[in-house]
Amino acid sequence: MPHVAVTAFGADRPGIIAAVTGVLMRHGGNLQDTAMTQLGGHFAMMLVVEVPDAESAETLEAALVAEVGALGLTVAVRPIIETAHDTAVGTPWAVSLYGADRPGIVHRVSQKLADHGANIVDLSTRVVGGGPEHSYVLLLELVLPPNADADRLAAELQALATELGVEIHLRPDDADIL
Amino acid sequence: MIRPVLQLPHRVLATPCAPVGEIDDTARALGHDLLDTMRSSGHSVGVAAPQIGVSMRAFCVDVTGHRKARSCHGPVVLFDAVVLESSTPEVGREGCMSVPDLTGDVARATSLLVRGLGMDGELHSYEVDAFEARAFQHELDHLDGLLFLDRVVADERIFRRRVYR
Repeated sequence: MPHVAVTAFGADRPGIIAAVTGVLMRHGGNLQDTAMTQLGGHFAMMLVVEVPDAESAETLEAALVAEVGALGLTVAVRPIIETAHDTAVGTPWAVSLYGADRPGIVHRVSQKLADHGANIVDLSTRVVGGGPEHSYVLLLELVLPPNADADRLAAELQALATELGVEIHLRPDDADIL
Repeated sequence: MIRPVLQLPHRVLATPCAPVGEIDDTARALGHDLLDTMRSSGHSVGVAAPQIGVSMRAFCVDVTGHRKARSCHGPVVLFDAVVLESSTPEVGREGCMSVPDLTGDVARATSLLVRGLGMDGELHSYEVDAFEARAFQHELDHLDGLLFLDRVVADERIFRRRVYR
């Protein structure tokens, strides 16, 4: 069965998930991997949904707009041509960063990681505190390819941390199978 | 005998296990099956009886050679084990043969005093710490019908502190 990508975003309130997933269920959808969270007082949903062959992304989006538009959600549904499999090969690492906020932190860090062939598999950021002196926190998980040099990456991240005036820590994130 | 390892959503994994009681030939055979099954999967350091479809309070652990191990009692088989003492917890990332594809951050006591019946039918006590303590707690959870999924702490994630007015 084909898959579609569903995104929804709007001011947070009770009932958003129930409303959106209710429409998807009535159209024969089956939720696969999803991520749903509060972002800055809004609620964001990202869902991979398995849908019947007869169900198109266009009709599903129209149904969602018609049925949950009243909740103030911005909704989009797009076909997923090929189901993306988790193909990341390598070792898992985690990066934590915190410090005074300034534009470009995420870009500079992610560009550095991309230069080393790292694949970021999860990333979240939060603005901490209010006012002009507010801080920024970034947490991410990545997969480093077998040929990458973790020591060199760590050293370059430290140099970047100094330049940006923030703290950056890179640590192994491997799990033990028990 | 190597037994197949059951995976989610098999109900026996979510069912609290019955006490073994007396260590007879059946219990010893179960102990050997646990060891054989653990050794057959190179990356596993423990197997609990419900993972091979037996809802009895039995498990085996062997952390020999693991880089995170401090205490190491070699291959251990315990029946009807109870935790007598445990220290403060520490978060570490775990996976489980019965939960393919997923791992999660779980807080486990860093040291533990455990007592249970051995293959010889006698009571044995084990003081374990570090990775061996984590492995014991992971397997003990299986006997209560709990998976690491039931204990995941969202260590990697950060949340807005709630203000209730």
